[in-house]
Amino acid sequence: MKTPTLSSPAGASAQNASGLQGLWQALPDPVRSVAFRLLALGLLCLALSLASDAFLTTTNIVNVLRQAALLFLLASGVTLVILTAGLDLSVGANVAMSACLAATLMKATGSITLAVFAGLGCGLLIGIANGLLITLLRLPPFIATYGMLWILHGVTYWFMKGETIHGFPPAFRAIGSGHWLGIPIPVYLMVAFLFIGVLFAQRTRWGQEIYAVGANPEAARLSGVPVKSRLVLVYAVSGAMAGLASLIFLARLNSAEGDIGEALTLPAIAAVLIGGTSLFGGVGSVFGTLVGALILTLVLNGMNLLAISSNWQPVVTGVIVVLAVFLDNLTRKGDRK
Amino acid sequence: MTIPHDPAAPATPRVPILELRGISKRFTGVQALDDVSFELHEGEVHMLLGENGAGKSTLMKVLCGAHTADAGEFFHRGEPVVIGGPADAQRLGIAVIFQEFTLVPYLSVAQNIFLGREPRGRLPGLVDHARMRREAQVIMDQLGMTLRPDTVVATLGVAQQQMVEIAKALSQQARIVVLDEPTAALSDNETEKLFAMIETLKRQGVAMVYISHRMAEVFSMGDRITVLRDGKKVGFRMPGETAPDELVSLMVGRKVDMSYSRTYCAAPGELALRLQGVSARSGIQDVSLEVRAGEIVGLAGLVGSGRTEVARAIFGADPIAAGRIEIFGRPQTGGPTQARRLGAALIPESRKAQGLALIRSVGENLVLASLPRLFPSGLFSPSKAAAQARELITRLRIATPGPDRRVGVLSGGNQQKVVIGKWLSAEAKLFIFDEPTRGIDVGAKAEIFSLIDALVRKGAAVLMISSELSEIVNVCDRTYVMREGRVAGELARDAMSEEAILTLGMHHA
Amino acid sequence: MHEMTVRAEPVAGVGKLIARLKHAGSASGALMMLIVLCAVFAFSTENFLDGANLVNVAVQSTILLLLALPMTLIIMTEGLDLSMGAVLTLANVVLATVAVNTGGVSLALLAALGVGLAFGLVNGTLVSRLGIPPFVATLGTLGAAQGLALVVTDGQSVVGIPASVQMFYSGAFLGVPAPIWIAGIAYAAFHGVLYHTRFGANVFALGGNREALTLAGVRTRLYLVAVYVIGGLMAGLAALLLTARISSGHPTAALGMEFDAIAAVAVGGTSFEKGKGWLLGTLIGVLAVGVLRNGLNLMGVTSAVQVSAIGLLVILALMIDAFRGKQS
Repeated sequence: MKTPTLSSPAGASAQNASGLQGLWQALPDPVRSVAFRLLALGLLCLALSLASDAFLTTTNIVNVLRQAALLFLLASGVTLVILTAGLDLSVGANVAMSACLAATLMKATGSITLAVFAGLGCGLLIGIANGLLITLLRLPPFIATYGMLWILHGVTYWFMKGETIHGFPPAFRAIGSGHWLGIPIPVYLMVAFLFIGVLFAQRTRWGQEIYAVGANPEAARLSGVPVKSRLVLVYAVSGAMAGLASLIFLARLNSAEGDIGEALTLPAIAAVLIGGTSLFGGVGSVFGTLVGALILTLVLNGMNLLAISSNWQPVVTGVIVVLAVFLDNLTRKGDRK
Repeated sequence: MTIPHDPAAPATPRVPILELRGISKRFTGVQALDDVSFELHEGEVHMLLGENGAGKSTLMKVLCGAHTADAGEFFHRGEPVVIGGPADAQRLGIAVIFQEFTLVPYLSVAQNIFLGREPRGRLPGLVDHARMRREAQVIMDQLGMTLRPDTVVATLGVAQQQMVEIAKALSQQARIVVLDEPTAALSDNETEKLFAMIETLKRQGVAMVYISHRMAEVFSMGDRITVLRDGKKVGFRMPGETAPDELVSLMVGRKVDMSYSRTYCAAPGELALRLQGVSARSGIQDVSLEVRAGEIVGLAGLVGSGRTEVARAIFGADPIAAGRIEIFGRPQTGGPTQARRLGAALIPESRKAQGLALIRSVGENLVLASLPRLFPSGLFSPSKAAAQARELITRLRIATPGPDRRVGVLSGGNQQKVVIGKWLSAEAKLFIFDEPTRGIDVGAKAEIFSLIDALVRKGAAVLMISSELSEIVNVCDRTYVMREGRVAGELARDAMSEEAILTLGMHHA
Repeated sequence: MHEMTVRAEPVAGVGKLIARLKHAGSASGALMMLIVLCAVFAFSTENFLDGANLVNVAVQSTILLLLALPMTLIIMTEGLDLSMGAVLTLANVVLATVAVNTGGVSLALLAALGVGLAFGLVNGTLVSRLGIPPFVATLGTLGAAQGLALVVTDGQSVVGIPASVQMFYSGAFLGVPAPIWIAGIAYAAFHGVLYHTRFGANVFALGGNREALTLAGVRTRLYLVAVYVIGGLMAGLAALLLTARISSGHPTAALGMEFDAIAAVAVGGTSFEKGKGWLLGTLIGVLAVGVLRNGLNLMGVTSAVQVSAIGLLVILALMIDAFRGKQS
């Protein structure tokens, strides 16, 4: 005997719809949400090419891709964190600290290898520290990473002593500003990590566990999933990706000072949310974050082309984040109990 | 329609204090209430029975104004009225005591009683705390409560919080009080106090709608009984004219044989689970028990006696402070991950909150506990996962069009099967069931029990917690009875009866 | 058995106050931390215990208190306002600009309050009506306010603040510095509202059990918006003190101050869930943060590092709370 359920069954009307509509409704939710966003991306490109002649030039497209790559690399790690219904507010400060550490080491020893390892290692350690604060001390993620943000900010300023380091070896700078076959190196990294990210999230059992932890951490725990380990893992990855991003950022700017990269936190989170990953956890994708990063970068690029003051950029980013979350809420309101 | 009335009541038919005629309420896709008519008289305790999903909670919400009815009429003492929102319900003197309390943890008892209606102080917006305390005390005295009005609610136990809820209802001059399974979380002592309070309210002429699943209460406290099924009113009886079996068949729609017969285990196999002197901060003390392969061992006891805590301790969900747990001879000292590795499985009390990820698909839930086993290299193959899911769906007869359906839309019984399936996929050999048939309609209950029976026939071991004594008596090979955190006793098959279990589970009284 | 919501009686009888503090669980942890910090700095610096320095600490803490008071309420409703620092900054540049152009206080203050009101409304609406999680909503408005501050000033400082504004920080009345008067009145007002009015009880309920409030027929959305509006208004008021203190309007003047405010509230024992709040704890927390900054200043530690120290202080406070089993 059927017990009446009050939630609207997903895809229940698929049987009745015909043809194209039926096909659309039969698609799983994640595919549908990415399709929407790809459409938005397409429309955005169209709009921008109509609004400004400078948009479709090779220089501009390459520029956009390079910036989107950096943003994506940072945001891909944050995606995993948000999938677990967590948040990493410290990524920007992580980038700052890792970059400054790498810069200092490079200047002091001249060794690029050492600097690269230091930057990655620093980012990773910060990520692990976040993970431990959250799992061992049971601090809510936004508090732990928010506190970490300020701690890192202070430490970075302290050892930079307000100075700027600049002038790095060309081999290093190539990471950020170099090309190969006309395409910037960061873009190759973006594609590589897109594959790695999608593979990890969708085709490994750790990825499945991460989605489960986000959907219902207690049920995951009681199913034998080592929740605490997975949480530390996602924060560690987020930190490591921040470390990677810091190297690229450093290579492109060719200089380092205390606050470099701090302004990247908001856009990184924005990219993840625009890409369809839900703040409530359990829903989202790395590919979506790529689309989100592209959308955001294009919007900001468009603002530049239209000569809108860069002071408005954080405003627009903020508004887009709020919009994205609002739309996410609308569509997902009924899903959660 | 003539109203059957209590022979002791005055012969002239009274106007009901509240009458519902043809109330209907529809949610998307579901007719939650369908032409329900219902009368409530002053001073009566009107029992409302029905399975989960029958419409009881929707009816409650309509009564208190949280939902508005789509069709139908309300009459208050014969006058037509409208219940469009909480304010209307309050004005009519209707108060609902939900199972999830509407108390603010860090406010005092008095503040909670008067939430939203605090007595005004000298200046607008100010609250007269002294007067609030006095008036709260008056109500609490009427109900025989011994708390101080200044006590912070967060420091109170469940039973006391429930009394604060009732005091809150009374303070609103409630003449109609709806109680939703009020004794579900109460001890015997507390239940007696509650019943005394109900008697007081009856004498004052307050009308009560009392929702319960416990037949004993229904017959001892009820003046009249209404049964709902699938949103419709299917029966109205006086307690003296009916029996539990009839009520159950009204609730279910067919004659139901309440005995789940099975072949009991003649020769238990290896020792699957052994507890020795286990104590934990969760409240259990010095618990020792054994479960062998092939048996269904019951864990009975009143609510709050520590059964779930034992289950959680075994599975590593809560840490233990003393004692030893062995699963298939190997010590269990870690968390759920280790328990799973040792072959244990926990089907938790609340499948939605603890057993399933509702927004994930049936297939994703089914493989969640067996990811390391199915994908030892770490690489996850969706097709392999789907195949495993389909096999389990067929084997357990889970009613879903496919593994991709979101598990949150399945019915309770099918959701429970997904939880069981999850552990079958993990090749568990020791199953701990915590209230396996709670919130599941009677038809699906039988299926769950035959599933459990199939498990032990194939050599698994089962420890089953249930609050339904008939289930324990009929299904289990033997049972332990818990009382106040300790094992009060063990009953072998021939000694098992509902009376024996109750006696062991209660205080010497 | 602690009775935290029984409001602290006015300080008639310090002994009674201390007894109440002892009973109030986590707040005694905050007080202990404050005392320890004072002791540490008394030993490691020469000037900390100077009368003049202590007064200085108190005066400098007033701006933070004005932010921390509404932040307490917001956190009690299980929310957070990350935009407070940026809104304060924007209000500061607006107030400065208007003051310089009109030569007086009133219009400038009104403008600042208007800015605070506007952002408070936006925050409140986003959170209550659109159901956006508070930290995301206020993260967004943080960006907006920050950007707008740059737009309004074009990156430059606004100077030439009239004396009528400056005296709100440097002036005194009956020997007590003006900021302390303002902060004191604000504290008294918040105390009165939180513990003696219906509004206050509703704030407890918003965080503790929102459904209870709805079922009681209260318009919860309105109160939720109100809490953020109060936050915005207090940021506007704080802009007066800030402008007076730095004698200018600067586009990055108070960025990040919300962190100090959140830290003060957390250290003071207000919990991030369940509607548990303690105003006196916030006061102690504000003093703790102020003492920490002051002490580190005297030791020559730069501002950025001070912030790290505050972060560690918060973690310490939350750890102590966790140890005492307050958080489940």
